[in-house]
Amino acid sequence: MNICLRNKFTRLNLVSNFHRFSTTVPEIEQNEQVLIDDTEDLLAKEEEIRKKRNTSRLAKAHYNLVNGRRPYEEPNCLAHLTVKYNRKMYGKYGVASGVNPSLCWPTKKEIEEKKEFEAVAFPYTIRQVMDATAEKRREEQLRIEQRDIEVATKVAKLEQWKKELNDKVAKKAAEVLAAKQKKERLVEEVRRHFGFTLDPKDERFKEVLAKREKEQKKLEKQARMEAKEKMMIAKLQQKSGEISEKS
Amino acid sequence: MGSRQITEKSLVMLRSLPRLSLANIRDNPGSKKNTKRGRGQHGGDKHGAGNKGSGQRQNYMRLGYETGNNPFYLRMPHEPYYKGHHHRREYPPISLLEIQKLIDTDLIDITQPIDIASIVKSGLYNFFPDKKHFGINLTDEGVDSFAAKINIEVQWASEQVIAAIEKNGGVITTAYYDPHSLFLLKNPKKFFESGQAIPRRMIPPADVIEYYTSAETRGYLADPEKISQERFRLSQKYGYELPNIENDQCYTMLCERKDPRQIFHGLEPGWVVNLKDKCILKPKDDELLQFYAS
Repeated sequence: MNICLRNKFTRLNLVSNFHRFSTTVPEIEQNEQVLIDDTEDLLAKEEEIRKKRNTSRLAKAHYNLVNGRRPYEEPNCLAHLTVKYNRKMYGKYGVASGVNPSLCWPTKKEIEEKKEFEAVAFPYTIRQVMDATAEKRREEQLRIEQRDIEVATKVAKLEQWKKELNDKVAKKAAEVLAAKQKKERLVEEVRRHFGFTLDPKDERFKEVLAKREKEQKKLEKQARMEAKEKMMIAKLQQKSGEISEKS
Repeated sequence: MGSRQITEKSLVMLRSLPRLSLANIRDNPGSKKNTKRGRGQHGGDKHGAGNKGSGQRQNYMRLGYETGNNPFYLRMPHEPYYKGHHHRREYPPISLLEIQKLIDTDLIDITQPIDIASIVKSGLYNFFPDKKHFGINLTDEGVDSFAAKINIEVQWASEQVIAAIEKNGGVITTAYYDPHSLFLLKNPKKFFESGQAIPRRMIPPADVIEYYTSAETRGYLADPEKISQERFRLSQKYGYELPNIENDQCYTMLCERKDPRQIFHGLEPGWVVNLKDKCILKPKDDELLQFYAS
């Protein structure tokens, strides 16, 4: 039986070869009669031939890869059971991969998790962020303006303050100068009293200087008293004048 | 007489010598280095490591260490001009001149809206989202010779650049993409082959929200009314006549904009693109639709 079958097979192969090269559809009605007899056997034979033709010596997975098929039909390790791997298989090999494409979308739980993450990572809407930045900018502008006003008012007063300071310095200098001149005058007077130049560190000099200073102070005091009296008298006169005018 | 003899003799000698060939030439001096290290009493000696110290012991000091001195890199006081530079966003530049070159060499199709994906696809621009690169900075080099009518979307642009593009009847938008979206735009094929649904684009951070919402910078979140006002204002400022887009034959192309949540032109978030089957799968579940629409 085998022998006769083989004969038929060769014929079939020949026909299929012709089929390959022919441009018109071949009539295979006569052969169908033969094929019906033992299809399984035939398929097994074909498979065997196909196996023999494969002289690549590649591993099955690699052979699949090279021929554009997914490498493993059955899951081979734990990673092949993951959603990520299956998605990848679908992305790369399409429907032929046999993966249900509904895997490509996140599950309800994953959506919830994503929403939660986004609520934390992006807590504000665009409008809220815009308003907040606008507010910040406005505050910054306000701060700058206020500082500008502050500086402007201070600059306006600057000339006055400069004048005040200069006056103060000049007054102090004048006072110092007056004190110095007074002292010099006293020393000159003492010198004139002795009639010759005397060392200011001398005892006599110091004595006379002290005396002179005392006298000077006395005079000053007297002058002050007189001025006070004069003022009093003037005031009294004025008052009496006012009274007389009233009466 | 004598000199003639010498000449003949040397010629004879020369003739008897073999021809110059690769087989009988010597290597260049110093071209061959012995890979083996000498051994034995005087064979190796110091093996090129020098005499004494860390050189001989080959325990090299760390970079910048000055054997106990106050090192140079610590000698200066702290100068914080670049404080936080490694956290700042970068926008790797591409100039208008280069864009013009890409257009002239037909690496960019100007009948379609141009975005970062199409510029990367030209192969002459690259960026790295993982190095804090946040997209394209379109610079004004070649601003005077730019002469293309384009609808371009970049991440940063100056006023001159905006003026140059609008002067030619084009349209420019500045748009923010989060790093994840930029990875997708940089290599869409890789993403599509991972079999995931296209995600949504995230909103810009607070410090650039002003840039992307203002009409002067043609931000993608700005009011279109204001943008058209600004277009006119800019044309007045730079003194050119604003071409009327409404009457243009590619008006629809020039008006195309991405949704603020959209990453790819023509593809909405939530869709799955399969390159093998050349098909697009769209979700129908209400919850998914709601999630991707938000």
